[in-house]
Amino acid sequence: MTTKIVQTKDLHKTYDKNSARPYEALKGINLSVDQGEFVGIMGASGSGKTTLLNILATLDQPTSGSVEIDGQDVTNFSSNQMADFRSKKLGFIFQDFNLLETLTAKENIALPLSLQNTKAALIEPAVKTAATKLAIEDLLDKYPNQLSGGQKQRVAAARALVSNPSIIFGDEPTGALDSTNARELLDTLSGINNQGVSILLVTHDPFSASFCKRILFIKDGQIGDEIESGDKGRNNFYQEILEKLGTFEQ
Amino acid sequence: MLGKISPSGIKARWKDYLVLFSGMIITTAIFYMFEAISTNDQFTTNSPVGESAKFVFIFGSVLLAIITLVYVFYANNFLMSMRKHDYGLFMMLGAKSRVISRLIAMETVVIGLISTIIGLIVGVGFTKILSRFLASQIHMPLTHFSAFYMPAMWTTVIMFLVLFIIAGFLNARTFVKTSALRLLRSSQQSDWKQPKAVSLWVQAILGILLLAGGYYAMYDIKQLKLMAVAIGLVTIVLGTYFVFNSFFVMLLQVIQRSKMNTKGLNSFTLAQLKFRIRDYTKILSVVSLLFALALGAITVGTGFQNMVPKLAQGNGYYSVGITNPSSKMNALVDQIKDKSTITYQQKIDPQTKSVYYRIDQLQKQPIKYSEFVDKATLKAKISTAQVAQYRHNDSGAYQELWGLQAPDAKAFKIKVVSANSFNRITAKTNQLLMVRANNMDAATTTLTKITNLQAKQYGTKNNQLVGGSFATYQLLKGVFGSLEFMGIFLGIAFLAMLASCLMFKILSGAASDKIRFDMLNKIGTRRSVLKRSIWVQILGLFTLPGILGIIDVAFGLQMFSRSGLLIGGAYQTFAITTGGFLILYLIYFAVTVLIYSRIVVPKTKVEK
Repeated sequence: MTTKIVQTKDLHKTYDKNSARPYEALKGINLSVDQGEFVGIMGASGSGKTTLLNILATLDQPTSGSVEIDGQDVTNFSSNQMADFRSKKLGFIFQDFNLLETLTAKENIALPLSLQNTKAALIEPAVKTAATKLAIEDLLDKYPNQLSGGQKQRVAAARALVSNPSIIFGDEPTGALDSTNARELLDTLSGINNQGVSILLVTHDPFSASFCKRILFIKDGQIGDEIESGDKGRNNFYQEILEKLGTFEQ
Repeated sequence: MLGKISPSGIKARWKDYLVLFSGMIITTAIFYMFEAISTNDQFTTNSPVGESAKFVFIFGSVLLAIITLVYVFYANNFLMSMRKHDYGLFMMLGAKSRVISRLIAMETVVIGLISTIIGLIVGVGFTKILSRFLASQIHMPLTHFSAFYMPAMWTTVIMFLVLFIIAGFLNARTFVKTSALRLLRSSQQSDWKQPKAVSLWVQAILGILLLAGGYYAMYDIKQLKLMAVAIGLVTIVLGTYFVFNSFFVMLLQVIQRSKMNTKGLNSFTLAQLKFRIRDYTKILSVVSLLFALALGAITVGTGFQNMVPKLAQGNGYYSVGITNPSSKMNALVDQIKDKSTITYQQKIDPQTKSVYYRIDQLQKQPIKYSEFVDKATLKAKISTAQVAQYRHNDSGAYQELWGLQAPDAKAFKIKVVSANSFNRITAKTNQLLMVRANNMDAATTTLTKITNLQAKQYGTKNNQLVGGSFATYQLLKGVFGSLEFMGIFLGIAFLAMLASCLMFKILSGAASDKIRFDMLNKIGTRRSVLKRSIWVQILGLFTLPGILGIIDVAFGLQMFSRSGLLIGGAYQTFAITTGGFLILYLIYFAVTVLIYSRIVVPKTKVEK
């Protein structure tokens, strides 16, 4: 039996609960991500996908329901527990890279390990390994402003990988890249996924989504539909996503 | 329409504006107070002390004006950093840049006007307090002095309005030249450049050499005379700039290369600090120099104050001379600890215009008198009088005795005669009691009581007429007291403005740091760790100029003490004033950390 990396039960999130007009962003989400899966979450603006990602990433807490990540119930963590959990178990890739421009690529990548107070002797090889996976060994001593958009995003991916997280969360990671660089990054993510790392990608871009193995469609705070790539091949899957989006959003 | 939107933007960020306003109000208030006292004739022409105080106050207000300029510039910068995004949005929505620039200019001037008006009101209050204190220090009733002084009001209003109009104009111009998109994204731009190693080395060595040269010049003032001041000024200003631009950066690089860099958020904190120091080089240099100036003013002012007893006792050996002491006075004299006294008999003969003393008494208990050997270092020699000396009225012994007599006796000549001759003179026999208090500071209260009683007995209110070194002591305390007070006040005003400049500069950068801290939060940095990082960064930016400033003063004092202007205890006063200064500085530091954290640390309190 495969282990579940992420599992949510009846997840609800209501904003401004005590106000005259409370807003229910999530209305009972049940989803699970298996170990080594590459799952995409698609939906229009305002569908609740960012809220969902924030809760899964322990940046926010649900109003009701529960979230389990890597076998741990994170629903009622304190803010310190949440922070420690993020630094040890989760990796992040953001749309706008979010690298610190005063640090070299190497220092940027090492940051999650430093935060866990990993010994200096162990940081060096871990950074090397992550850099090798993303083919950026030559860029380690460069500062972000000396790198191209694609290179920056690969450094960001290396930072997400360096602490061997249980799962990597991507929030529109190709949003700021041109098509060549976007393609390269998605190939890299697929490669990482093939080595057994679980990835959860939030996107509204069908091309990015076509690299996933399974896609959940979210609308008005609920999961509406789900499709799997199976053996269809990426091009066919891409067509299927386009068709789905066409019918789903109506 | 925009006129309506603009105030709403201000309302939303009133806390930030509160910081801005409080700084401006204090600045205006202090400036008004200096103007009111230095230009008010009522205050300054009535006493010689007031005259010298006036000069010091004018000097102070010129310095203040210069710093105010810098201050308004930084406060304005901070104001704009808060409003940039709003203005960009207005432009995005189609507002003409001409309209926006008018809006900006208006907003700046209105803010300036409001803070100036409130500042003036506070300033009148400050002036009242200060004038009362000064009046008590120089023993002068201020019957006609009013804290509300129109010419000073005008000077202050004109000065600040002109500054704000210039600032408003500059702001408007900057905005017209910047595109809406740039304004909207201004917080996301970074101009970080990695400094080149060679240039760092050259600047660091040059900076330290220049500082060392400047310090040496101040140390060697005896040889270099006025050149020392000129050399010191140039080398220390340049040296400070280079040291900030390179030496501190290199120091941080060394720490970065150590294992410490991989602990927690250290790598981020150190890199940020390194970037900030280079970005802030100019303001940090100015802060450290003015820090030194303010600290120096206070130390020297207090140092002079501490020299008063030495100065006074060099002028005369005995503290007071009492003619025919009453039992009350004798009781008071008994209260003085650590003293020596002599009593002589004295007869005043108005016919021969002479005051007679008995030779046997003067021989048995000779007078002691003190004379300056070296006026520059205030070295005084205490000698014992020979009877022969009383023949010359310019001798130290004669002067000492003459000065201690009653006012009516001072018009006559001192004559020393045998006991028999003394007895034959038909006049009332007076007792002249001469008291020396070895520790005048400790005996001040008792001595004041004695001189007041004595003055009453002489039929005058002016206790300066009692004579003796205590009169000199009181006079000098008045002069130096107001100087000291002025130094402290000016110093505090400087520090308040400098620290707020630094605070505004740091806070202006907060918006762009928000994204960085947000990301750090996402990758799992605890809130406490984020806060510690802010704490260390701001501490670095506050302490480095402080340390350099303190070193500057430590060497600057050498100049004063080696040229003989400050004697003994200067470093003790220096330590005390530095302590007081640091407390004030710390308050600014704490406020900056608080506001900065409020802006950049992401809220992790989750609404469920």
